[in-house]
Amino acid sequence: MEKNVTVSPIAKSTLIGQRVKKPDAPDKATGKTRYINDMVLPQMLIGKVLFAGRPHARIVRIDTSAAEKLPGVYAVLTGKDAAGLKFGFVRDNVALKDKVRCEHDEIAAVAAETEEIASRALELIKVEYEDLPGVFTPEAGALVGAPLVHDNFPGNKSLHFEFKHGDLAAAEAASDCVVDSVFRPHHVTHCCMGTSCAIADFDHNGKLTIWTQTQYPYNYKMDLAPALGLNPGDIRVMQPPVGGAFGSKLDVYPYEPIAALLARKTGRPVKVIYSREEEFKAAPTRQAAIIHMRTGCTRDGVLTFRSADVLLDNGAYTSWGPTIPVIMMRTTSGHYRVPVVDFKAQAIYTNNPYAGSFRGYGNVQTTYATAQQMDMLADMVDLDPLEFHLKNAQISGEVTPQKSFLRECALVECLETAAAASDYSRKRKAYAAARDKPGRYKKGIGLASSIHNAGGAKIHKSDGIGTILKVDDYARVTVITGASEIGQGIDAVITLIVAEELGVPVEHVTIVNNDSDIAPWDVGVHASRTTFIAGNGTRRAAQKAKAQILSAAAKMLNEPAGTLELRGGFVVRDTCGTPLIELDRLLRRMHFQNVPELVMVTDYYEPNSEPEGAKHISDHSAAYSHAVHIAEITVDTLTGEIKVDKVTVAQDVGRVINRMGLEGQIEGGIAIGLGYALSENMRIEKGMLRNPCFRDYKLITAPEMPPLDMHFIESNCAEGPYGAKGISELPTIVIAPAIANALYNATGVRIFNPPMSPETVARAIFEARQAGK
Amino acid sequence: MQEITTYLAPRRLDEALQAMADGAATVLCGGTDLAPQTESGARQYTAKLLNIRRIEGLGGIETKGDKVRIGAVTTISEIRCNPMLAEIAPVLVEAAEHFASEQIRNAASVGGNLCNASPAGDMIPPLLILDASVELACWREGAVQTRLIPLEGFFVSPGKTVKRPEELLTAVVFDRPAADFVGKFRKSGPRPALEISTVSVALGACIADGRLSNVRVAMGSVAPTPLRARHVEAALEGKPLDAATWAATIAVAVAATAEDAKPIDDVRASAWYRGHLVRVFVEEVLNEVRGN
Amino acid sequence: MKSVETEIRFKLNGREVCLTVPVTMKTLTMLRDKLGMTGTKYACGEGECGACTIKLDGQTVNSCLMYAVDCDGRELVTIEGLRTPEGLNPMQQAFVDHGAIQCGFCMPGMIMQADTLVENNPNLTREEAQRGLEGNLCRCTGYTKVLDAVDAVVEAKKCCGRC
Repeated sequence: MEKNVTVSPIAKSTLIGQRVKKPDAPDKATGKTRYINDMVLPQMLIGKVLFAGRPHARIVRIDTSAAEKLPGVYAVLTGKDAAGLKFGFVRDNVALKDKVRCEHDEIAAVAAETEEIASRALELIKVEYEDLPGVFTPEAGALVGAPLVHDNFPGNKSLHFEFKHGDLAAAEAASDCVVDSVFRPHHVTHCCMGTSCAIADFDHNGKLTIWTQTQYPYNYKMDLAPALGLNPGDIRVMQPPVGGAFGSKLDVYPYEPIAALLARKTGRPVKVIYSREEEFKAAPTRQAAIIHMRTGCTRDGVLTFRSADVLLDNGAYTSWGPTIPVIMMRTTSGHYRVPVVDFKAQAIYTNNPYAGSFRGYGNVQTTYATAQQMDMLADMVDLDPLEFHLKNAQISGEVTPQKSFLRECALVECLETAAAASDYSRKRKAYAAARDKPGRYKKGIGLASSIHNAGGAKIHKSDGIGTILKVDDYARVTVITGASEIGQGIDAVITLIVAEELGVPVEHVTIVNNDSDIAPWDVGVHASRTTFIAGNGTRRAAQKAKAQILSAAAKMLNEPAGTLELRGGFVVRDTCGTPLIELDRLLRRMHFQNVPELVMVTDYYEPNSEPEGAKHISDHSAAYSHAVHIAEITVDTLTGEIKVDKVTVAQDVGRVINRMGLEGQIEGGIAIGLGYALSENMRIEKGMLRNPCFRDYKLITAPEMPPLDMHFIESNCAEGPYGAKGISELPTIVIAPAIANALYNATGVRIFNPPMSPETVARAIFEARQAGK
Repeated sequence: MQEITTYLAPRRLDEALQAMADGAATVLCGGTDLAPQTESGARQYTAKLLNIRRIEGLGGIETKGDKVRIGAVTTISEIRCNPMLAEIAPVLVEAAEHFASEQIRNAASVGGNLCNASPAGDMIPPLLILDASVELACWREGAVQTRLIPLEGFFVSPGKTVKRPEELLTAVVFDRPAADFVGKFRKSGPRPALEISTVSVALGACIADGRLSNVRVAMGSVAPTPLRARHVEAALEGKPLDAATWAATIAVAVAATAEDAKPIDDVRASAWYRGHLVRVFVEEVLNEVRGN
Repeated sequence: MKSVETEIRFKLNGREVCLTVPVTMKTLTMLRDKLGMTGTKYACGEGECGACTIKLDGQTVNSCLMYAVDCDGRELVTIEGLRTPEGLNPMQQAFVDHGAIQCGFCMPGMIMQADTLVENNPNLTREEAQRGLEGNLCRCTGYTKVLDAVDAVVEAKKCCGRC
């Protein structure tokens, strides 16, 4: 026993499930945090982009001579400066264009001393266009003889996906009821509060440093390199704090190589930052789609098949948007027990803005369809939707037709918990009975659920993460991790896990995750994966460090191996909690002993999932999860306004890690889903965005946020850290169809073309009443 | 593009009007419309930028006899929090209550809202049913000259009014409403908060002996300018409030909206929806007035 | 756009400032680009999002709409000015403690508005707070934890008043 340790025994306790503050919150609350938008480097120039402002045209000639002569202008670039530097999944994009394919095509770029000079220079660039006939819907783009967006993509055909399982004709024949509907999920956009921004700088060895908002720093190098003709190894990615991402920064977008091209040309750092209007026009969208879905069931309410024929508006270029069928088909095949599945999706190039990934990635659109068809079928077979859902709900151990293995499945518990908490069945009946009674305001309640990957999605060759963890002489821990922080709160999760494993205060944990030259590889923040994957990586690294520390402690203190623990900043006897030595003192002894020992460990965690594969038959995530939302609404049947009174949420979270962060992700995810459901809508007319401002593109505001009654179902995922699953996309996915089903319950009206804006709802109710007369 | 060569922030009205006499001044008050409009290029500055916020006597809400006078630089927040207006013209306070956000209300002036002449200007329909006039001042023949223009005749088209370039809107004035005057205001947008009115309807009337008289109805966002709905007014003038005929009265008024409201399709709403909302709101405000 | 410049004097977070600004410059630009006060954020430039909210003579305004020349003779408080010698002010601390901050980009404006709401109405209800924050957009949080933080500050102030 160390003689000057006089602390009383330290009992076992756990931080798992507690409320831990985000370590970066104090600086954010005081305005001290320097976001990328705030950064200024010595010698830095401002880059600005000239957008085409027309959807489809040939560039006849471009004259930059006046702009080049303007004092304070350092570089003017056009399509010829990026010629051949194609990037994107199918190499259909380039930083500066030689032909206009959508409104926000980047035609030229300037670097100047100030933003004012750069703007002035753009005005001096003379471009002569020859407008071309465009295609503005996927149906039009697919017609024989339609104008081609890209000459080398005949028929405007972009990506195609298919998945079939079972005998569709037989299943149809065996169905007593079939619902057949066409859903048209619309264009919305991320609206990150911090607009898109990149700062690029080359050193004299030709190595690029780029400060970006990216949420996938390592594959980002690989994707950015061809746009610049660089080796990915010669790119250093810096990630300063960002004002939101939500999937929008999961690809390279032209402003980033433009900043780099300008930096290379001028030899100075160049910052490109969008105005809000530019952000609306040039940032990616959520993928718009036309979903023809059919679902069948027996008269007893057992699902027989589901088919989906999906047409995607690819827009002018191929980013993540048209890859969403990867997830759409998982929902089509896996949302409830569906024995027979027929899914196909075709993306068609148009002259519209193009889509990236966006929280919920394809599942927002698909669940809007599947969850409404579940409600419609329940109605047809005259079952309470809850009963219908329960009848078809999967349980632990089931495998979907695409081989998603639902190891720990809590769908039934989610359904029962949410229904009981909201008194769903009674209210649904009462509201339906009141539907045709007089009265302007109608109440409705709607249930929806969905399934989503909750342990990453192995769409790359690896879905892993590297972690380096060191503990210094003062027992301060540094975690060098590939996991990016974009506001979602992985920083708090990492500090919590390290504190849990090493018995140190969360404040003693520092995270380094903003420099690709330092931190090891990670796929990125997406697919509800970071708490799951980085949580596991952090835990494994911390446990390695702990093993090293305890082994050294056992030797030094002459205690039997396996009897010691780390608690409260001490090495303690595990059974009684008796403190034996302060952790920092032990670490110094380890460090300065005859055979010095420093605590620094590495880990590469690869989840046990299988690669997606071309056939889409694989257990592509290390976990799957369900959420159920029950929305209660009041509809003004005359104005069409929907007021969401309350949302009851039951979500399988595996295990709560940071309760405060979990709640925040669900609340925020629902807010994005509410905007999608009720008000957000990019009004794109013939390729041109008509509402590029918050005045006309309506985000949910504080008065519209309903109270949430949240229930966390802990299914204890064997592979997840402490049993946790990924959680942050389901809230965005499930809310819209819950409201749609509530709207039906209240009024008998269904909206197939979201958003359920007041006008859309008012018109639907008005027309239904006219038809009923 | 015009270069701004002069900036003035006078304390006296006559100084300001002299500076405006050549008709080449851009007037700045709260900036909540001027800033975004000049940023987007929808509006150009002239050579002179004239800040009127410091001019003495241009703010404040006061009554003199039967007249109520609201100075041009009075902010929407000041209207919202004014106890006197809450008593004599609550419809104006209600409109101020639902005007944009608190940050905007703290900066935006009533004069600016009128001069901006948006068909959706939130303060306009309630002022129209108060039969307000605007006071326009200019410098002529070595003195300050003023004229009063009824608000109904003030608007020409979106962003355009009858105010001449050398004139400054100095106040909005109206007669203290009669004791039996009731005014109601209703607006809607795609979301409750921070909306630009899809349409708005204000209705004011005196209620005496169980009848409506001096009926005034105003509408926003249903035509190039906010307007008085004369056909609806005519349909309502003198109508009794009794239960037997009330439904018929509403039906006639609602039908008459088609004569007054000529809405268009735009990015915020379709003509159909605007027309529909006008009918809904007219019925709603009528019921509220009757219930009062 | 060229414009004449003019000299203005005002109080910023309690300190006198005197500088020359182009007359069309907005207060937001002045704060960020001329004074290096980057806590106040640009997110829309049209007064629709509230990220640039500052306090001017005790009332909040959108600094993106406010002409810098109009600061002359007035008193400004920005997010940097809320901090007390002891550290974060109660509203800032409540935002941290209640998990109201995710990406945090809108938070300087949100906190300025929330702080002013409570300052002007110590009995602020949750509904009044929702209305009062309608001009502040947040894409991360769904506002729930923001409102929890505001509630907590109101409650704490009431408690202090009693004891």
